[in-house]
Amino acid sequence: MKRRTFMMSAAGAAAGLALAPRMSFAAKGTIDWYTGSDTNVLDFWANTVKPAFEAANPGIKLNLVDAGDNAGILAIGERAIAAKQTGTDPQADFFEHSDPLLPAGAIDAGVYANMKNAGLSNYSRINPLAIQSEYSLPYRGSQVLLAYDTAKLKPADAPKTWEELVTWIKANPGQFVYNRPDKGGSGGNFVRRAIHEANGRDPNAFTVSNYTQEFGDEALGKAWKLLTDIAPSLYDNGAYSSGNTQSLQLLSQGVVTMIPVWSDQVLQAIDQGVLPPETGLVQLQDLALCGNFSRSIVIENGANRDAALKLADFILSEEIQGAILTELGGFPGVSWDHVSPALREKFAAIIPQSIPTFPSGKWDAAINDGWYRNVAPNVDRKS
Amino acid sequence: MSEVAKAAARPLMENAQSRRPLGLLLVAIPVFLMIWLVVWPAINAISRTIWRPDVDGNVGFDLSSYAFFFSDRYSLDNLAITLWTTLVCAILLLVICLPIALYLRFSRSRLSGYVQALAILPMFVPSIILAFAFIRVLGPNGMVDILFNAVGLPKIRTPYLTPWGPVIGLVWDNIPLTVLILLSGLGSVANQSIEAARDVGANALRVFRHIILPRISNSILVALSFSVLGIFSSFTLPYLLGPASPEMLGPFMQRTLREVQDPIGAMTQAVIAFGFCIVFGLFYVRSVARNQGK
Repeated sequence: MKRRTFMMSAAGAAAGLALAPRMSFAAKGTIDWYTGSDTNVLDFWANTVKPAFEAANPGIKLNLVDAGDNAGILAIGERAIAAKQTGTDPQADFFEHSDPLLPAGAIDAGVYANMKNAGLSNYSRINPLAIQSEYSLPYRGSQVLLAYDTAKLKPADAPKTWEELVTWIKANPGQFVYNRPDKGGSGGNFVRRAIHEANGRDPNAFTVSNYTQEFGDEALGKAWKLLTDIAPSLYDNGAYSSGNTQSLQLLSQGVVTMIPVWSDQVLQAIDQGVLPPETGLVQLQDLALCGNFSRSIVIENGANRDAALKLADFILSEEIQGAILTELGGFPGVSWDHVSPALREKFAAIIPQSIPTFPSGKWDAAINDGWYRNVAPNVDRKS
Repeated sequence: MSEVAKAAARPLMENAQSRRPLGLLLVAIPVFLMIWLVVWPAINAISRTIWRPDVDGNVGFDLSSYAFFFSDRYSLDNLAITLWTTLVCAILLLVICLPIALYLRFSRSRLSGYVQALAILPMFVPSIILAFAFIRVLGPNGMVDILFNAVGLPKIRTPYLTPWGPVIGLVWDNIPLTVLILLSGLGSVANQSIEAARDVGANALRVFRHIILPRISNSILVALSFSVLGIFSSFTLPYLLGPASPEMLGPFMQRTLREVQDPIGAMTQAVIAFGFCIVFGLFYVRSVARNQGK
């Protein structure tokens, strides 16, 4: 009988465990924060932003959660929409970086807070070029550049235009690699630079809303030709690494001479000794490789909306914006006038004149699908 | 199962009339979880891919996503590489694991303990760690290259980012399971029957073909169907070690769902993968059923 009672209670406990997750609620005063960015960004928040914010705002805590990637963030966004419809707690307050247009209809559903009307004291400091929507808050930027091994390529010979880059790649087969465009922004923005190149180098030709099947096929088709043309001269006759980090690894092991990199990641890699200090960095002068601002989003129906808005205001402060330059190797999201003069002087050389951007939305899916179908295959790699 | 085992199993069941509801209750939880987490999503995926709204919003029977998959060169290439990888892995696993299992079964030396530990080790290594270790060792300018270079041998072409990358990783990852299943199968080969065969003059090859192989053919089938199921739907190793294209169905599905934002396409791929896995699964079920019928 005893054994039987034990079995019964064990079965009951198991059934109870299966139901338990339905009954968890977000803790009051703890901001549920999500990111889909790389670990260097998460580290920056854990080591710099979180302690500073919690010290400045007693009683508010930050719960930093890694959502994996942008698609992970969107899944949480979809959960917030569903929670709004049922009037429940979305258990999310703050997205470190996301696109307010995704998931489709989130703004209309009232899930994202309007930053412009939220009364943020630092809103006016934001670099006007970076503002894309009233529902997101650009707070840091980074740009893709080319990193190269100065032992094999002299800085004077480093390519400065797309044409020189292609000539160099073809003259040095196997010495260049970029990652698959959906697996990391360095390769992704290299591919987008090729799209710009094939379409008159005009970043304004592409907007979030101007994707149509015909225009997409035509504009992207020309870019696929450019990329297919250089494919046989890439590393291992046309191999593509599976992420930003893997490209850095190939450069650091001396396998390739040049890769596209995120400015913040490469500065950090040099800082940590993953790459030697004499690693060369160069930006194309005819049209820079794309960059982007990371834009934070506050969830309107989150349990800690007001605290999350405080956090949004906090990350635009001079203290955090300075730390983005010094700790993260990124660009500030505020205008350079609102960065401390000492830092402004120190980083004068890398202050970009312009950061060309490429819209996301439907273009993303078209580029991700098109590249895999048209550029990745069609190469006889055994030869 | 032998007669003795059957007789031993029986008394436990005899006075269990009153316990039957409890037994069913205990079974009910895993069965319920199976239905909730496996069977229902599978049925859901099948119905949502064949019964869906067209451009005008009329819901109806629609096989176009399957027609697209089977007429799309790119998807078919991905299916082909998945089947190729699975087949090559299965052959390699058999070739590697059968000798190890035979050695472990019949060896009396102290060394066999170490061999067993080595063969089981991959079970405790997470595949993401394995992938990065692979890149350091077999990748370009990795350890193998450095060793070869030190003794003046030419540089080999690295399998990293080629279809052989996932093959090597998956084979290594699946060795423990295969060895363990084969080893348990070899347990049913009686020493006496081998000695008897030897006495009438059978050499090692004949003993293997006529005495051992018939007894463990079932285990081989079980081992292969288990590893084949895992390999067919693997994700991490093909993603990190394989080429961008063609890609195996695991990464392809994930990419179609998240990056291409095409849930119907991803579900179609899942249903097709499911169909292939059912075929492999049937081998397993059939061999288990045959085993119990004996």
